Amino acid sequence: MEFEVKRDRLVLRAGGGKWEWHIEPRYWRNPLIYIGILIIAPLVVYFVYRPLLPTIIEANVLAAIAIPLALMTIGTGRLNFGPQFYIGIGGYAAALLSIHYHLSPGLTLLAAALGGLLFGFIMSPISIIAGGLYYSLLTLLFPLLFLEITFIYTDLFKGDTGLAGIAPLVSVGSFSLNLLIYAFISLAMMLIYLFIIDKVLRSRYAVQMAAINDDEEVANSIGVNVNKVKIVSFTIAAMMIAVIGWFYAHYYGTFSGQTFLPLSFMLKIFMVTMIGGRMQIYGCVLGGYFIAFLELILIRTTGDMSSLLLPIILLILLIVLREGLLGLYRKRRYREYLPTLHVRR
Amino acid sequence: MNLFDWGLVPSIIAMLVIQAGIAIAIYKGLIVRYMKQEEIIMLGLLFVAIILEQAALRFYPIQAGVYLETTMVPGLSKIGQVTVSNQLIFAAILGIVVTGLFVLFFLKTKLGLAVRAVSYDINSSRLMGIQVERVFMFIMVLVLIPVILATLAIAPIWAVEPSMGWGYMIIAILVSVLGGLGNIKGTIIASYIIGFCHSVVGFVIAQPQFTGLSALIVVLIVLIVRPQGIAKSETVW
Repeated sequence: MEFEVKRDRLVLRAGGGKWEWHIEPRYWRNPLIYIGILIIAPLVVYFVYRPLLPTIIEANVLAAIAIPLALMTIGTGRLNFGPQFYIGIGGYAAALLSIHYHLSPGLTLLAAALGGLLFGFIMSPISIIAGGLYYSLLTLLFPLLFLEITFIYTDLFKGDTGLAGIAPLVSVGSFSLNLLIYAFISLAMMLIYLFIIDKVLRSRYAVQMAAINDDEEVANSIGVNVNKVKIVSFTIAAMMIAVIGWFYAHYYGTFSGQTFLPLSFMLKIFMVTMIGGRMQIYGCVLGGYFIAFLELILIRTTGDMSSLLLPIILLILLIVLREGLLGLYRKRRYREYLPTLHVRR
Repeated sequence: MNLFDWGLVPSIIAMLVIQAGIAIAIYKGLIVRYMKQEEIIMLGLLFVAIILEQAALRFYPIQAGVYLETTMVPGLSKIGQVTVSNQLIFAAILGIVVTGLFVLFFLKTKLGLAVRAVSYDINSSRLMGIQVERVFMFIMVLVLIPVILATLAIAPIWAVEPSMGWGYMIIAILVSVLGGLGNIKGTIIASYIIGFCHSVVGFVIAQPQFTGLSALIVVLIVLIVRPQGIAKSETVW
């Protein structure tokens, strides 16, 4: 084992492996500042204006859905239009096990993750057999058909009313304190996802994903196991999204397919990724907060009209912001970022 | 009709004009800008659908309902032991006629040839003197006609409400994916396959709740065998 201190990094060599940690401030200063702001925000809101806590939770959760979706998109080179299907899988797994078998949230988390993993694995070959628009259109249908199934088997899924009576994740006696803890849990989930996927997108697997994104045949010819990369990135991302379904179920105490499976929710998730920065994982955080607060402002100011105004504003932003909100930042100070979206046709 | 007290025909013409205006606005505002980014176009079009649905819901809530006086052939007919509404038979015949006209248009007219050329290769079409943007705009308006006719034909039988399009969208996606995106011959075959699948599951097996699911399974099985769908999507016919 060998440990080396360089000007900008610490290097550890052990066996055949090599690990590096950047110590130069320019590498960690900005992320640390942003994470600090995200951690302080719920605390400030808790002491200043508590009704904003649910919006912060929603923002974190939206970002936490969008980040694995970005991994799925980059890893498969295809745009999955049905990420909410896995929210449904995770949410219903958690809800049914909690209500009927009284399992603790820890165990339901395991079940939701396994459910996401299993269904992700079963669905993943679609990314091999279908490409471009075929793939997008097919994946668009899965959540809608799942919603249909929740109505067909309404005795089990309570498709019309939703499942109620799910054990809460947190219960400390005070409603506001519960919300604060939920805000930190959602933030932790989002940051863990961000950290993991950031590491993946900086690893050699990202190079393989970028190759698949550019040209599958070329990637195959240079030795990239295209199918393996696609299946792994699809399945892992599906599992991560299913865990968000678990969080939703235990956070609200109810779970209804009508809330999470329709197209409107899918569009919200997509706008987080698109307005944030066209599948850039840091843009997802920006997009999550932007969409959650925009929705809140519209509901507060326009009431019922918000259901009409929100899609109008989002459509305008989709057309106008070609690189998303992160693109505005990148225009000013360009940096080489992670693999970006190239959807194969 | 109700607002201006117009007759049926002027109302239909006005509807076509309004829809054509919306289609051209969508083309100019969204499709031209993101011609090579299909995912953005798809997202944008879904947004347009939701905006129109929400706007329609404000004026015509589902509870209020809309009744269109478009019954062309009143009465019922008995075919064997089955009683069918004449309007439904009319709608079925209308569907076949419109499909036939579309096929003839694409195969036998110069404009249809131009559309096919654009679908093969945009740059080569430009070099051959085809005004690609005009062709796109024309197609955006042309595709409205069968949709409008179908809506008018089924309106007296099935409920017309702002959210009715989503169910049809699922069927349309299944049909177009199964047929091979953009191929008319494949799409016609696929529409009959999906239609028969719905009928068998709904009436023969008597499990109407599984129609959507069964059609999806059929599509997935076909896609496993033929990933490009029934026909090649690179060709129109």
